[in-house]
Amino acid sequence: VITLLSSSPTDTKAVAAAVAAVVRPGDLILLVGEMGSGKTAFAQGFAAALGVIDPVTSPTFTLVHTYEGRYRVHHADVYRLERMAEVADLAIAELADDKDAVVLVEWGDVVAAGLGHDLLTVRLEPTEAERPEQRVITVSGAGDRWAERWPRVQAALAAWVG
Amino acid sequence: MLILGIETATDQVSCAIGGHEGVLALFEVLRGRRHAETVAPAIEMICRQADVTLDEIGAIAVDVGPGLFTGMRVGIATAKAMAQALRVPVIPIASLDLLAFPLRHADRLIATVVDARRDEVYFAFYRQVPGGLQRVTGPAVGSVDDLVGELLARGEESLCVGDGALRHRELIATGARRVEFAEQWLAHPSAAPLVQLAHAKALREEWVPGSAVVPLYLRRPDAEINWATREVAR
Repeated sequence: VITLLSSSPTDTKAVAAAVAAVVRPGDLILLVGEMGSGKTAFAQGFAAALGVIDPVTSPTFTLVHTYEGRYRVHHADVYRLERMAEVADLAIAELADDKDAVVLVEWGDVVAAGLGHDLLTVRLEPTEAERPEQRVITVSGAGDRWAERWPRVQAALAAWVG
Repeated sequence: MLILGIETATDQVSCAIGGHEGVLALFEVLRGRRHAETVAPAIEMICRQADVTLDEIGAIAVDVGPGLFTGMRVGIATAKAMAQALRVPVIPIASLDLLAFPLRHADRLIATVVDARRDEVYFAFYRQVPGGLQRVTGPAVGSVDDLVGELLARGEESLCVGDGALRHRELIATGARRVEFAEQWLAHPSAAPLVQLAHAKALREEWVPGSAVVPLYLRRPDAEINWATREVAR
């Protein structure tokens, strides 16, 4: 687990860009954190770093947005869903299998069963009331895909480690 | 009675028209993975080429998975819409059964394996019995290791078929031993066995209204998402 400190949404986007620099097609990233914690800001920084020009907006009501960049970026949000059948219908595992695609799933930790072993989890949490824009970001990888790349992930994020 | 079969549960899109004479028309395309763009024109083409009008169709057969959700939603929605418009019933059939059907004369354990993505597979085992096949394990979803474990537990010669079997062929062959693999052209469920199996069911009136058809979810579809964190946020 890598623990980082982000001072603002702009900083969170820079962290996301650093993560984007080490992703490969087929990667699946879970974004975890309460409303307003910066999940969408992370997605914006991530997509921009992959060359996505279209504005990245929250997919809360549309469930999945797809953007074309250096890789295709599928951005999903399961917040509105109630049952696992609805998650299955989103076909997140199939999106990740799409050639040249990476997938971001907001609130994805609660539906991780069925998404396989290889996951990167990015957790965003507010710190103290006096610094409303500050976030602690914890990044953890699971599975062989991330284990073999972990030194590169650590190097990419070193600048934010407190 | 003529049956229209719609098959979109894997990368392949397939549709067929069949009846008591057998399969009268068949369309299949594997490459492209454009289920939504392909299926309606394909149905129109086989009807035209086989000189069948839609009002001659007495039932719609559809593969309800398990398989690709991006594919199944196209096929199942098409089947439901056509059944409603034509006022005919639907015969839902599982993808794993369709993969086993062409191998029903094999005198060994048949393992049908559909790729579930993220290194998981949907699988079921079948055995030859007088008059057809009997499902002896599954349908289940699990890792490739789970599948290998089930094959080892059976401890007998087996024949694996399906896109999941081919994708993970080396892992399965190394882990399970005494296993052979069916040809690539049998690896995707086809609308040809679909209309044949459906015809037998139609004779027994084993069908349902279109509104009752749902994809086969193997992961407890009614399970509520554990939203403990979201409730706090709300």
